[in-house]
Amino acid sequence: MSTVEKVKAPPRTRLLGQSLRRVEDGRYVTGQAAYVGNIQLPGMLHIAFTRSPVAHGAVGDIDLSEALAVPGVVAAVTGAELARECKPIRADVTDECWQGSEQWPLAVDRVRFAGEAIAAVVARTRYEAEDGADMVVADLEPLAPVTGIDDALGTDARVHAGWRDNCFVTRRVEGGDVDRAMADAPRRLRVTCHVGRHGGIPMETRGCIASYDRVGKRLTLWSSHQMPHVLRTVVADLIGLPEHRLRVVAPDVGGGFGIKSNIYPEELVACLLTMRLGRPVKWIEDRREHMMTAAHARDHRHQLDVAYDDDGHILGVDATIWVDCGAYSMFPWTAAMEPGTSVSMIPGPYRIENYRAVGHALATNKTPAGPYRGIARVPSAFSIERAVDQIAVDLGLDPLEVRRRNLVRPDEFPYLSVTGNIYDSGSYLESLDELERLVSLGELRAWQGVERAAGRHIGIGVACFTEQTAHGVQEYVRRKVPFVFGYDKALVRMDPSGTATVFVGIHSHGQGMETTLAQVAADQLGLALEDVRIVFGDTDVSPYGNGTFGSRSMVMCGGATELAARQVGAKLREVGAFLLDVSPDDVELCDRRVRHRDDPSIGMDIAEVARIIHLRPERLPSGADPVLEAVASYDAEPGRGVYSNGAHVAVVEVDPETGQVEILRYACVADCGTMVNPMIVEGQIHGAVAQSIGGTLYEEFQFDEAANPLSTTFLDYLMPNALDVPDIQVSSLETPSPFTINGLKGTGESGTIGPPASIAAAVEDALSPIGRVFVNATPLTPERVLGYADAARAAGA
Amino acid sequence: MTDPDAPRAISLEVNGERHDVVVEPRMLLLDCLRETLALGGTHAGCEHGACGACTVLLDGEAVRSCLVFAVQARGASVTTIEGLTPDDGESLHPLQEAFSEQHGLQCGFCTPGMIMTAAALLEETPHPTDAEIRTALAGNICRCTGYVNIVKSVRAAAEKGAA
Repeated sequence: MSTVEKVKAPPRTRLLGQSLRRVEDGRYVTGQAAYVGNIQLPGMLHIAFTRSPVAHGAVGDIDLSEALAVPGVVAAVTGAELARECKPIRADVTDECWQGSEQWPLAVDRVRFAGEAIAAVVARTRYEAEDGADMVVADLEPLAPVTGIDDALGTDARVHAGWRDNCFVTRRVEGGDVDRAMADAPRRLRVTCHVGRHGGIPMETRGCIASYDRVGKRLTLWSSHQMPHVLRTVVADLIGLPEHRLRVVAPDVGGGFGIKSNIYPEELVACLLTMRLGRPVKWIEDRREHMMTAAHARDHRHQLDVAYDDDGHILGVDATIWVDCGAYSMFPWTAAMEPGTSVSMIPGPYRIENYRAVGHALATNKTPAGPYRGIARVPSAFSIERAVDQIAVDLGLDPLEVRRRNLVRPDEFPYLSVTGNIYDSGSYLESLDELERLVSLGELRAWQGVERAAGRHIGIGVACFTEQTAHGVQEYVRRKVPFVFGYDKALVRMDPSGTATVFVGIHSHGQGMETTLAQVAADQLGLALEDVRIVFGDTDVSPYGNGTFGSRSMVMCGGATELAARQVGAKLREVGAFLLDVSPDDVELCDRRVRHRDDPSIGMDIAEVARIIHLRPERLPSGADPVLEAVASYDAEPGRGVYSNGAHVAVVEVDPETGQVEILRYACVADCGTMVNPMIVEGQIHGAVAQSIGGTLYEEFQFDEAANPLSTTFLDYLMPNALDVPDIQVSSLETPSPFTINGLKGTGESGTIGPPASIAAAVEDALSPIGRVFVNATPLTPERVLGYADAARAAGA
Repeated sequence: MTDPDAPRAISLEVNGERHDVVVEPRMLLLDCLRETLALGGTHAGCEHGACGACTVLLDGEAVRSCLVFAVQARGASVTTIEGLTPDDGESLHPLQEAFSEQHGLQCGFCTPGMIMTAAALLEETPHPTDAEIRTALAGNICRCTGYVNIVKSVRAAAEKGAA
């Protein structure tokens, strides 16, 4: 007698594709989520760091005696001490021109950015640890800082001693004959664009707890992190611990956005300190530390020479890219990530056959830069979109029309781009049509005309883009990075009661993977959503996985989950058919039953089959083992990523007297292939657009002329609030990928790509009645917009 | 003369229950709730009063618990997200229900503060306009949702008479 017979079976419907409410919400809305800051261990001590007040300096004597005298302080260490117990973080690519950096857990002989940790103090409470950290006396001799792109290129000073220049690496891509295209083209223009330095700024800062069991020689590291297995591999290697003695737990994580997908020094310090002290130690980053030390992002300068004809067809693009990567190459991405991705991505959704790009990754004495939602694609789309708009201005054409003439057409997919990317499928032209329809662009422009006549400065700007997602193994081979991740895995295990648990190596910190992966697994197993539980974030229980980043988890881990669930399902069908005395080919899994396809009255509960497999193995067919679990790995062939696409429109009002920009309306068309849960997809677009509005209008990590950070609180680094972000409209198209299981594409980052280009175009359009200017830089702070307004007045005079 | 930094004994009411605690004068109400009283639903987002993640109700009014010292809450009544949640272990407060139903949260870190701010709003203005909702929430930063579904959540809760 099965226990689930009393439960009414749900109707047979596919869960994939439904906007199901998230199963994980309960613990978040009730305040019961276990973020790392909420974890308390008996005897736990607290770490505070003493950090460098200068951007570049030689580290001399560090006196810990006063710190150690502070009541409650238990221990204090310097970099020189820890360097004996740990290797430095090195994130190297294999390019011949590469110059690498070494980042120690605590600075040893040099500090290379303001905020770099130079000592760690451990105390009974965080308050006491901070008291102690304040009393560390460090002898730092300031050295000439390298302060930005121009300085890095021009100065004799070096961020890293022994380097021939301040360039980590230069990446090049070339296709077609760009020199000839430039020479022969009837028209050419040059644009220089700059996207400012900002970051992901999750609401939960970084943080970790390390606890060493001296008897069992086992170390557990809880960390607010996106990739627990990668963290385990690297930490074990750097501190010299056999990897099976290290367990990494990434519990509930309060936002990542790429910022928590790096290997940082603080985790190493915590691990080394708990091993020294034999007590658990905790470090929760405060917001000021976060602004100074968690990865920054963007800070790109692009120069594009564009050749085109009289009809606006792009004939060639010659691009040079400079990126301020900060002081260290971050693991596992490396400093090659931003320029290396930009050279590949600038052509975007356009048919560009002659192309050359050179990208330089520059070292400066600033916070190291790492991945942030929309890596490299945000500045790349900004520069190509701004260039396309300038073509439209030059030719007096509608910016949408110039786009239509250059977008890859539906009949061209799969499309091999000039940089070697394979655009699997997409709705580039249809998205633009849908965008026009969504906002009734004709009426919108008519309204703009009326408002302009009444003296308002209203602007409309459009952007089109692709997003490379779900980068597979071959993509990381091409990037020459230290770890070739790309694939991901899932372990599906059914218990004797017929419910399933899926163990995965990706992480979910807002993306709703506990729901969407369960949707996938439940469909394959004939179960209801509540019959499947997703477990992630613990290296002791999940198969090795690569974590959540790069808009990959739904495609890669969703694919792996489906493959593993299919194997478990096949076992259920095999055993169920045997017990029902029918052929396995004739049975299906549906409504929690193994049943005959043609005669559903012939069947039995999945729970009963599962119970027999586990607990009555003597009833199994000969040769069948009592195993009801499977692990599968998935890498979407050909492993070079699949491409989501989108089209955005921004409607803004500019006050040319104050430089204030207000977004009156923002609308998106988004295509990420098949959607597992449209509600969640839409939420991802909303959030990404809002973050990108922040980077476009408000957010900037500013530094003074000595590379001292000026944006260390939320009072001088402005995050968009509910009054700044409009009611974002989203319309979804679904063009399935031919390369992936279920036709999925990733979409977590897509929404970030459009806003800088669309809003800049809208601001430019708003100012155009005053005079023609080229809006080429973000953030569009009031100061910068006033500059454009002044330039417009000068141009219009 | 008494040491100004010496720990003080205070009592305060949290979620309807009286607590007698000994705290250093410099201890934030936020840390007192999280560390001393083990109420981890109130989150530290910026610790300088700019993000709203630590919002609680202090005598019915939404405040940032990182800008209040625990000793300032002596004798006061504090409500945290844990106090808003019905005791039955099953059901949710209408705002909690609406946030889940409308997908008004993603990573969940800002959510308790958002809900407490919204609770204070609906107490005062049971049927707010969208503009009033946005104004009330303008001191709470969310990095995941773009606010669209948060506004929807508060509107939905108001329509169901959450106040």
